[in-house]
Amino acid sequence: MGSRVSRIDTGAGVSFIASAVIHLAVFLLLTWWGVFFPPHRAIQETYYVDVVNLPAANPRSGSSAQKPGDAGAVPPPAPAPPMAVPSPPRPAPKNLTKGVKPTDPQESAETESAFAERMAKLERNSESRREESVLEKLRSKVKAGSGTKIGTPGAGGAEAGSRYADYIKSRLEDALKVTNSYTTKNPEVAVRLTIGADGRLLRINIERSSGDAAFELAVRRAIDLASQKFTAPPNRTPFENGFIFKPKGISNGTSR
Amino acid sequence: MAIILGAGIVVKLVLLLLLTFSIISWAIILFKFFQVQRAKNESERFMDFFWKSKRFDAIASQVDRFANSPLTVLFNEGYSELKKVVETDSKSAGSALSTDLGGVENVTRALRRATNSEITRLEKYLTFLATTGSTSPFIGLFGTVWGIMTAFEGIGKTGSASLAVVAPGIAEALIATAIGLVAAIPAVMAYNHFQHKIRVLINEMDSFTTEFLNIVQRNIAGK
Repeated sequence: MGSRVSRIDTGAGVSFIASAVIHLAVFLLLTWWGVFFPPHRAIQETYYVDVVNLPAANPRSGSSAQKPGDAGAVPPPAPAPPMAVPSPPRPAPKNLTKGVKPTDPQESAETESAFAERMAKLERNSESRREESVLEKLRSKVKAGSGTKIGTPGAGGAEAGSRYADYIKSRLEDALKVTNSYTTKNPEVAVRLTIGADGRLLRINIERSSGDAAFELAVRRAIDLASQKFTAPPNRTPFENGFIFKPKGISNGTSR
Repeated sequence: MAIILGAGIVVKLVLLLLLTFSIISWAIILFKFFQVQRAKNESERFMDFFWKSKRFDAIASQVDRFANSPLTVLFNEGYSELKKVVETDSKSAGSALSTDLGGVENVTRALRRATNSEITRLEKYLTFLATTGSTSPFIGLFGTVWGIMTAFEGIGKTGSASLAVVAPGIAEALIATAIGLVAAIPAVMAYNHFQHKIRVLINEMDSFTTEFLNIVQRNIAGK
């Protein structure tokens, strides 16, 4: 064997350190890139404007910004005086413009007054409908309530059981909105639930199923989800009721 | 980076393994690059010096200048063996170089041994590059498959299969394949490059061995 030649093959350690530094630099570069240049969102946010309740002094002016002096100038429900509109954005009704040049100032004034009248009429109608709906709600509340806690589990009185059933139905409906899934056209599952005195779900008995496995699974999940929030039945008495689950909602079955 | 931090434990382990592979691969790439480059440059300089020199002992005294060339090692081994043969012959019965081709065979064996040891030295660590190049994509794929399984499990639990629920899990899983490819591609490219460079050096060593033996044989036959 000959005399050995002295070599400089000692670069392995240095190469390893250099490699680690390169990887660290790339990692930091990617982090920096991710922080300062976040990817653009593919979906732009959509803003909806409530045109009916737009707080505009003049809905035909095309802007929702109110001038300081126009604070109380929201169109009143009563017949409003004709508003002076410089240029109507849409064509006037045919019966008014027929055979007349649109540039005629007298005819233009008539068109504006007719438009203002129509606007006032529409607003009156809208206002009366709103009042009617509010009154209807109040009437139904008075009819159903008569001093008890309506729809709450703690409600007393003879109809307590049915109210608790409504409460359970409401919870189940909320849960079904999350888990809803079905493959056939009109699946239907009838379930009887037994709830203990402490509000725990004791038994789930599927009485009838239309055979849609996906919907049945969704119903089971809805029951599991909803049962986490059940409160105790009124008077601490065990509660049992049947519910019919459909994709569009839940209806009460018979209680025992 | 949230995409990596949000991944599951198995995917994180896969990513860590791939990162280790990548760091070691790049360390080998850097090391081999300088090693092969030094070997190539110093071999060229050594060959120039070899052909300009008239005597082996003059070359032998200067070999340290070309320490990183594999040809230097070959020359050193061959020259040492030649010296031993000559010394043995001069001691035996006064018939100088009576061994003729027997002595040349000794030198040939010494050169072959030196060539083999140099090839081993040059090819050291290259197997790791080959391993990284061939296994990293599969390791990454394993991470992806595992990540997608976990994502689907999550979808099953929540009961919702909207794009907003599915997409992040899939993206987290796919990062493993991406990192696997990032580790594998340079490793494969470097492996092929170094294989080519080493093959050239092996050819040079073979040529040098032939030249060296020719010179030895000419001198022995001439005496």
